[in-house]
Formats: sequence, C-alpha cells, structure tokens
Amino acid sequence: MLFAGLPFAELAAIFAVAGAAVVALYILKLRRRTVAIPFSPLWQKVLRDKEATSLFSKLKRVLSLLLQLALLALLVFALGDPRAQAAFVKGRSLVVLIDASASMQATDVSPSRLGAAKDEVKGMIRGLGGADRMLLAQMDAVVTPLGPMSGDPAELERALATVAPTDTRADFARALRFATDALRGLERAEIVVVSDGHLGDPADSFGAVHLGDAKLSYVKVGKGKNNVGITQFSVRRYPLDKGRYEVMLELTNTGEADADVELELTGDGQPVDVTKLRLRAGERLPRFYPNLSGASRTLEAKIAFAGGGHDDLPADDHAYALLPERHRAKVLVVTAGNMYLEAALLLDEYLDVTDVTPADYVAKYAAGARGFDTVIFDGVTPATPPRADAIYLDPRGPGSPVKVLGELKQPGFDKIDRKHPVVRFTALDDVNIARGRRLAPEPGDKVVGASEEGPILVAGTRDGHKFVALGFDLRESDLTLRVAWPLLLLNTINWFSDDDATYLSSFRTGDVWRIPVAGDLEEASLKLPDGLVRQVPVHEGRAVYLGQRAGFYELSPRPRLGDAPDRAIGPTTAFAANLLDAEESAITPRDALVVDGKPAGPLEGFHVGVRREIWIYLLIAAALLTVLEWATYHRRLTV
Amino acid sequence: MGLLEALGLARAPSARAGSAREDELFGDDFQRKLDYLAVVSKKVFAGRMRAERRTKKSGSGVEFADHRDYQPGDDFRYLDWNVYQRFDRLLLRLYEEEEDLAIYLIVDASASMGFGGAKKLRYAKQLAAALAYVGLANLDRVSIVATNDRVMERMPTTRGKARIFKVFRFLTSLEPSGTTNLGDAMKTFVAQNKRRGLAVLLSDLYDPAGFEQGINVLRYNKFEPFVVHIVDPSEAKPKLQGDVLLYDCETGDEREVTVTPKVLERFTAAHREYTQAVGRFCATRQVSHIEADVSVPFDELILRVFRRGGFLR
Repeated sequence: MLFAGLPFAELAAIFAVAGAAVVALYILKLRRRTVAIPFSPLWQKVLRDKEATSLFSKLKRVLSLLLQLALLALLVFALGDPRAQAAFVKGRSLVVLIDASASMQATDVSPSRLGAAKDEVKGMIRGLGGADRMLLAQMDAVVTPLGPMSGDPAELERALATVAPTDTRADFARALRFATDALRGLERAEIVVVSDGHLGDPADSFGAVHLGDAKLSYVKVGKGKNNVGITQFSVRRYPLDKGRYEVMLELTNTGEADADVELELTGDGQPVDVTKLRLRAGERLPRFYPNLSGASRTLEAKIAFAGGGHDDLPADDHAYALLPERHRAKVLVVTAGNMYLEAALLLDEYLDVTDVTPADYVAKYAAGARGFDTVIFDGVTPATPPRADAIYLDPRGPGSPVKVLGELKQPGFDKIDRKHPVVRFTALDDVNIARGRRLAPEPGDKVVGASEEGPILVAGTRDGHKFVALGFDLRESDLTLRVAWPLLLLNTINWFSDDDATYLSSFRTGDVWRIPVAGDLEEASLKLPDGLVRQVPVHEGRAVYLGQRAGFYELSPRPRLGDAPDRAIGPTTAFAANLLDAEESAITPRDALVVDGKPAGPLEGFHVGVRREIWIYLLIAAALLTVLEWATYHRRLTV
Repeated sequence: MGLLEALGLARAPSARAGSAREDELFGDDFQRKLDYLAVVSKKVFAGRMRAERRTKKSGSGVEFADHRDYQPGDDFRYLDWNVYQRFDRLLLRLYEEEEDLAIYLIVDASASMGFGGAKKLRYAKQLAAALAYVGLANLDRVSIVATNDRVMERMPTTRGKARIFKVFRFLTSLEPSGTTNLGDAMKTFVAQNKRRGLAVLLSDLYDPAGFEQGINVLRYNKFEPFVVHIVDPSEAKPKLQGDVLLYDCETGDEREVTVTPKVLERFTAAHREYTQAVGRFCATRQVSHIEADVSVPFDELILRVFRRGGFLR
C-alpha cells in the first residue's frame, strides 16, 4: 500500500491530533440538560437496576468513542489517497493531437471523422489511470492546446468539446514539435495522434522532427475513399475587357472508382455554367472557362454527384472566388496631341480621360491636378510634380522624377523586369526605338526596362505617388504599333490603382493572409463566412489573419482609438478563401504513421472502467459509519 | 353567603388582612366548600358519634364511673350518702370527665412538596385548612405544625370556628424548604406536644431515611397517626428524554442519566411500588391512610377522609 496523497508521517500526525481532540471531547463531554427531581432515591433504584443489567452498558460509551475514532481514521486514510502497491505505477504524460484538418470532415464514419476522433479521445479520457495526465491539442494549420495538462476527466471532456473542424491541412511537424516540447522532462511521455493519417511529412524548415523518448501512438479514424473535390479554382478579368472574365478550375477524383459529377458555376448567385463530367479514378481534370460574363462580384463552383448522391468529403465540393472590383479611374492626359496615346486609353471603358494641352495644364492644373487618379505627361514635364500618380513619356528637365542623363541611339529593351506588373503580358524585346534617353533611377526606384546603355523604363514613388517614366518619345519607336503598348499603358494605370492582374481571386485556408487595408489603421473588423466578426490587427497597411474556413470574408477598416467618430475610413474589402488542397481531398485513411524513422504504435493502456482510487470507497465507508452512528445513537445503543 | 359573613367577622380588619396568596388559596369558593363540608360532616355522623370525646379520667362529668374511699380534704359534695347509710362507709362518687379532642395537623413543608409548581404543598394546605375547619366546628382543639427535617413552625392549639382565619394565615405563610426527615421532625413534635391526640400527617413521604420512622414515632408515643399521602401523578411519569443531569431538589444530589422509554417505564413502576409500600405499611400497622391525588378536588378527598373514619369519632 502506497500513499499518493499526504505521506504516512503527516497522516499519523493528523490522526494523533484529531484523535486526541475526539477523546478530549469525549472526556469533557457537553454539559447535560439539568432537570430537577423531587426524590432521587427512586431514580437511584431504577438506575441501579439498569447498571446492574450487564457489563455491556459500560462498554457502550467506549463503543461510541471507537466509532468516532474509526470514522476519523477513515477520513485521515482517505487524505492519504492510498493505492494498492500492484496498481501503483507512475502516471503517463500524454499529449493527444486531434486532427481537425479538412479531411476530418469526411462523413464516411458517423457522424464524421472528427466526431469519431472525439469519441476515441473520450474513451481515452475515461480510461485514464489515476496518476495519468493528459493534454489535448487541436491540430490543423496551427496547433492549439485546449487546456492544461490534467488528470481530471471532467476538465478534459470540457476541453474536448471545444474541438471544431477547419478547412485547412494539418501542420503535423508543428504539432509534433509542440507535443515534444510539452512532454520534455516528463516521465512516460506519449504522443497520441488521432487522425486519418493525411498529415504530410513530419518535417519543417528546421528539419525532421525528433520525438526523443516520447512514445508515439496512432489512432486511425475513417475508412472511406470516395471523394471528388475542387482542387484549383481561379478567376480573373481580362485586362483589356474588364467586363469579361475567365475561370480556371481543377477537379480531382481521389477515389478508386470513376465518378460522374455535375459542376455548376454561379456568378452573383445566378447559374453561369453547368457541366456534367466523368472523372476516372485518380484523375485530375483541369477545366478552363474563357470569355465568361454575367457576374460582377462573386463566383462559386459546386460539384454534386450525378446520381444525387454525395462523396465522403463535402468540404472540398464548394469553392469560392471574388472578381476584382472595377474602379473608374480619372486620367488627365497632358499632350499636344498623340493619337496612339488617346487610342490606347479608349480601350478601357472604365477610364474617364481628360485631354489638356501643356499650356492649359499650367493654367488650370498647376496646383497639382487634384481630383485625378493618373496624369500622363506626353513629351512635357511640369516644373512641379502633380499630386497624383503620373506617367512621364520622354521626360525632360528638372521636373522629371528621374534624372535624364543623355541621349541613347537606337536603344532597346535588352533587360526587362518581367515580374513587374506594368510589363505583365507584354512583349517588349523586339521593340525598335530610334532615339531614347538614359534615365537615372534614384534609390528605391525600379528599373523595369533597360537597354545595354542604360535604363529606359523606370517605376518608383515620389511623395507618396507612383510614377512610371518611359525614356523615349512614342513617335520615335514602333511600340505604338504593337499590342504591348496599350497593355503597358493600362497595366501602369492598373498598377497605380492596385487593380492589377496579380489580384488573387481567393486566399488559401491555413495560410496567414495579409489583406491590404486602405488608410492608417491598427485594427480591422473581419466578418467570417459564418457571420462572426473578429478584430484583426493591421500591420504595415495589411490586415493579418490566419484563415481556417472557406467562404466569403468582409474586412472593414476600424478607426484608431481616440479618432473622431466622423473620421473617414476606407471602404470594405471582400475576399474569398478556399481549401483547394489535393492532399486534403485524398481522404483514404492511412494505416500507419512513421515519424523520426519509427512507426507509430497502437494505443495501449486505455480501458474504460472503474477508477481504482481507494479514497472514494473510504469516504463511502465513513458516510456509512456516520449513518450507523446516527442510527445507534437514536436507538440509544451507544449511549 | 361566605364563611366570613356567616361568622359575623367580615368587618373585622384582622380577618380581612389576608395576603393575595391567602385570597387565592383560601378564597370565597374555598370557604364555601368548607361550610358545605362542615354541614355534611354533621349529617354523616349525627346520632352516631358526638364530636366530644370521653376520657377515662374521672372528674366533673355526669356519667358515674366508680367509688373510692374518702380521703380527708375531698369535696363533701361527692360523698355517696346512700352508701354511708347502708354500709356506714364514707365513699366518694367518681364521674367520667368529658374532654375535647386534640387534632394535630402536621404539614410537610419540605422542598419536595414545592416541586412541580408547589401543587402538593398547595393541596396539603387546602386539606389541612378543611380538616382544621371541621375540627374547629366540632369544638376540637386544633393545632397545625409545619415540618421538614424538623418542626419549622407551629400554630398553637386553638378551638372555635372563628379561629379559622388564624389557620389560613398560618398555612398561607408556609413556604417549601429544607430536606425531609420525618423521624427527627416527629420526635420533636411529640416532645413539644404532651397531650396525645389525632396526628394527621400530610406529606409526600419523600423521606430519604424512610417514611416509616416518622409514623412509628407517632405510634410509639400514643398518638393516633392518620397518614394523608399527597401524590402528584405527573411525578410518576416525568417528561424526560435523552441525556440529562438529574438533581434532587432537596438534597442537591446529582446524577447523569440517559432517559429512554425503558428507563421511564422502570421509574413509573418504582414510583407505583413506593406508594403501594406506604399503603401496605399503614395497613399492617392499623394506621389510617389515604392516598391524596392532587388531581382530585380537595373536597372530594375530605369526604373520603370522613368515610374512612378515624378522623371524627
């Protein structure tokens, strides 16, 4: 017999003190109620007869005292939390990683894989030994401990109830590192992974995860294989025709049987396209929908089985995208007359173009061209830069944002920064230029195009306004005869307004999103797909959030504390998020898990049953003894 | 009409000077009952026995008793001249002398008589007053003695109905106190009262030394004991339960007792046995005895006393 609670010496001391107190109380006794009688010899006779009945009457008081001492002994013994020697083993320290990734939403087992996983963990909690301690953690894109390491089943079950599914893949390496950190220095450490096994490689940028002395156990959940999911979904507007858009998506059949599915595209809630497709087992089927129209904002793709049934994982049957918003930009063109420029600007119906001569510009807009998003200077350069984004075609003089160093003969685009948005989709390599000027970019400026002799296309920012400088006259090149010209011009205007072709139609769940926010803010309100609103921090003009659910989000700027209530805040930004992960769509559960070169073993030592804690029975015995004492007292057996 | 009016003493200031307790104990109702008892006693014993009592002592009575020889100095008026003529002897005629009865009412005023709201002492006082009134009405000499372990107080011998208020005042003034020792008290009593007579002992007989001693002292000293055993039935069944500390109201003796229904049964039996023992003792020694239950109206009990006999002859 061992004591898991107070040590024996302390128990003995407590019993000695309390026992002495009980005995003292018995010796002192409480003062009895005093009653007068007229003639005591009559009572003496009665009591003499009573006392003479048996020796047992004298022992009754001793019996009562013994009962009290026995009661005290039981309570003190219970304080020691006694355990049988055979059953007394050092408790295990367990970290249970519950996979809450998207694949755990599969309904091949009832109610879902995650539900089954929670049932498994509940069984583990109820099978915990008296000295075992368990820490529950949810494993998805991050790892979230659900409570402290505890041996209290009620506390653990409360923590377990908070596990919720996410539309992300699991970061297994991070979860394992968390578990090994939590178990460091603890005896009988064990990591239990409750998952369908789609956890990826247990390695991260720091390398492979080492488990150390911790034992790894794997509880497999799930059995189904049939799933067809949307694994890619993207949409973009045509740069030169923003009223139309194209959609690219990919369907993947991760099951082992062919599947007939119906793919439906909806734009702004209205059907745009419905297609019936047949996917062979394991097939990845990309689909391209060009030249679509009819949707201005939201676009959704849904798949359903042709027979009316459904696959095992509904989470990847629905994808969301938002079309980039279309801004009507106000453009001021300062030119003495340039047909190529005017023609190119006519291509975008969302541009409000105002043409002025250089003289009029000086007369009317010298204060800075307020009210315009973009100013294009064709062959002229103002003495002071405008208070707007600007395109300088063949800049000259001191007002130029970049210094013009000298003339270049027959320069060409020998070097092009093809990643820069202003040259996206353009082919400038064979543009012929009769004469140009070498531009001298300042630190922070970007040389987008350069000839062997020097930069001829520079982008940068001055006083908070973007600019693009082209170091030659359009009329002295054949650029205006090429498709690249209007693309270059419109790309530049789009870049100015952040309405460029790099727009992401959706974010991927499980990533940390950095959503641009207009204005100088510290916090923004993010409305989640389920309607909940969260406050998210804004860092360097971008709201930062780890998204875990697919759907449409709305980000509203939130004024700083102390700002005037009527202070203007920026517009609400909407965006979409999708799982789009072929790894997660492959739901066939894995039978084995290998980490650090060691296969995970089966779960052992959990048996749902009666807790072997003797103190509970001691307390029950004490309660029974109290009842016995009460009954005997009232029947005057022990007094 | 009350007793006071009947006696024509209603206006006497001394007679009205009773205390509030006297009024309570011996109020108009009580006095009316005494009148009734006096009348009843005369009807019951009329023609059968006179209240007066004849003694063997020769004297100036009318009933001839005997002759004796003349002695010089004797009263010539009692010489029997007929005998002298016939036998030439001077003989003196002797007559039985008539004598009134001495009634001693011995009231136990020990602390136990005051137990339970002094019901027993109150009852004893009422009985003593009633018996005294009847005795006074029969021209007997009535004396009242209060005792505990000694003779506490005594009301000198008196006679005549008009003295009843003296009796009331004396009885009213009695307060329960002290321990009971009937033996010692009766020894003092007999020493103080040479004239023998009827000794009515009104007591609960809770004498630690034994109730027999007191009665025997009276018997041995030629008194005629009449034992009125005052009994309070509530004492036989005390309302006790649980752990209690009993203390004797007379001796102060303490005893811890856990009272259970079984213990109570035993006590009731012991009490019954005690009262029966008193009855047996008196019966075997030809001592008049009556058990006076305080729950019985005192006038009913007085009638029982009359019927029992021994009080009036």
